[in-house]
Amino acid sequence: MIYLAIRYLLERRKQTIFTLLGVFLGALAYVAVTGFFTGFQTFMIQQLVNNSAQIHIEARQDYLTEHQLDEAFYNQEFRYVFWRSPPSGVHGYLGIQNPQSWYERLKADPRVEAFAPLLTAPALFTLAKVSVSANLVGCDPKQQGKVTSIANYMIEGEFSDIGAGGNRIILGDELMKRLGAGIDQTLLVAVKTGLPVPFKVVGRFRTGNRGSDTQAYGALNDVQKLNGTPNQVNEIGVRLSDYTQAAAIATNWSRIAPERTESWDQQNASILSVIRLQTILRWTMTMTVIIVAGFGIYNILNMTVTQKRQDIAILRSMGYDTYDVVVLFFSQGIIIGICGGLLGLVCGYFLCLYLQTIPFSGGSSYDPQAHLQISLSPGIYVQALFLSLFSSSFASILPALAASRFTPIQIIRSGA
Amino acid sequence: MSIVVQHAGKEIGVPPSRVLSDISLEIQDGEFVALTGRSGSGKSTLLYLLSSLDTPSEGKIEISGKDLQKLNSDDLHLFRNRHMGFVFQFHYLIAELTALENVLMPTVKLHQKEKRRPAAESLLEQFGLKEKMARLPRQLSGGEQQRVAIARALVMEPQYLFADEPTGSLDSVNGDIVMKIFIDVNLKNKTTVVLVTHEPDFARLARRQILLKDGRIQQP
Repeated sequence: MIYLAIRYLLERRKQTIFTLLGVFLGALAYVAVTGFFTGFQTFMIQQLVNNSAQIHIEARQDYLTEHQLDEAFYNQEFRYVFWRSPPSGVHGYLGIQNPQSWYERLKADPRVEAFAPLLTAPALFTLAKVSVSANLVGCDPKQQGKVTSIANYMIEGEFSDIGAGGNRIILGDELMKRLGAGIDQTLLVAVKTGLPVPFKVVGRFRTGNRGSDTQAYGALNDVQKLNGTPNQVNEIGVRLSDYTQAAAIATNWSRIAPERTESWDQQNASILSVIRLQTILRWTMTMTVIIVAGFGIYNILNMTVTQKRQDIAILRSMGYDTYDVVVLFFSQGIIIGICGGLLGLVCGYFLCLYLQTIPFSGGSSYDPQAHLQISLSPGIYVQALFLSLFSSSFASILPALAASRFTPIQIIRSGA
Repeated sequence: MSIVVQHAGKEIGVPPSRVLSDISLEIQDGEFVALTGRSGSGKSTLLYLLSSLDTPSEGKIEISGKDLQKLNSDDLHLFRNRHMGFVFQFHYLIAELTALENVLMPTVKLHQKEKRRPAAESLLEQFGLKEKMARLPRQLSGGEQQRVAIARALVMEPQYLFADEPTGSLDSVNGDIVMKIFIDVNLKNKTTVVLVTHEPDFARLARRQILLKDGRIQQP
């Protein structure tokens, strides 16, 4: 019956080609769109995972609640205290309380690949008559380079230059432009109400993220001295051997220490929910195209069944049973599904290869020659083929079953 | 082996209308029987009952000792494929297949296509279609199409050949050719031929005529 099915398809060439085109476009769209979105999401997650620490351990500061100070003021003298003007503000610590114990804990944890202590202070940068407020991040350049990929975004100088001597800074590209500064120039940097201190600009970086590019990095001890807080750190960045475990590890650490511990995915929950929404939209879009292609097959086969009633009658009289009739029509849909699907996969693959040649660096300096990341995962192609086949099968089985219900006598009597 | 009908009847439609009543007859192996009668007398309905394409509303029909109503679908279709051939007023050739491929269609069911190819070619040659085996039905005349249909009905060397007004769409010349084929098949192969016709000249060519009137057999 397969060879008769093929003859039916070849005889109605135009119809077959247009129906096949529907399945082909569905598979092609699925492969290209999924490859594009999956590649883009991988790029986004890589940016989130690599550009910043995977777990941030920060000095905890919380807002005061209405009755948080009741016991401190009144001990347990009164059952309930009504405040005319309840206490407000922030309580906590400006720095991590016992960084040494954290360092020991992190060194001993096999899941931790690297960690880097940081002191971030709001500072005022002045060059001639221009002043800009921005964050100054004090770090150990060697350790920071292991925790984040900041060293890869340098466009002038090396990240390690901040540790090559005293009072050296690296500026983000955006900050550099606002100040109108250049390499080897000296800026005045002041924090809080302290005196401005000269710092030499030894490098420039560009991540493509405006917030990050409005920062400056200096050596940890330089920033501690400037801030008047020797040995203080207010953040420890951690890199894990498996970033997918970050949330679980961060939640666990937050129970055993007073510091605020957040993973990269907890910090970027809104971005990740956008990525999830993208995935839903992608699925909806590509599934719709494939389902519409299935409708095309359903319509064509329904027409074919009506046109081929005489053939069904004579086949049944020759001894072909209902199963043979089902196979005759069902296989037409499957053949279209397989051919259209495979063609769509092949063309989709080449389209993805072409899309990979489109330049895209995300605005960063990381790799100016970078191109769009398109996922060529075999799973995408398997899914596309499976969906094409499923859609074709579902669309074909109903007309095939309808055809199998015709009896030769019904057809002959109806004069069809 | 024969076809035995005992008190068979048939109602068709909603509300049901009686087409055949109390039909009892026996057709011996190798007989050539013509079912005759006016239009609406139930000839075609009786043919469809005898050939298992339709089921009686009452009564019993046995072919080669088998009650076909009691066979399961697979066995019934196999029996039809092996032992029965059908020729209708319209040729019912599959438009996408050549003449030879149409003739070979019954053989594909039992995977005997290559085995029966010589027989199929021989039949087409006998019917004067040697040069036209590779042609599609639309490239053949009405008479040629009907001859291909007859070849298709005979390719499995059936015991029974059921023909419903096979000359109805043909001119007299082609009609004569078709009748001659039936006579030859009956004489040489001992195929039981049951023919429905309203043409008295063709009915006379059969060895026995069964006359139907208002759904009943008229005794001679």
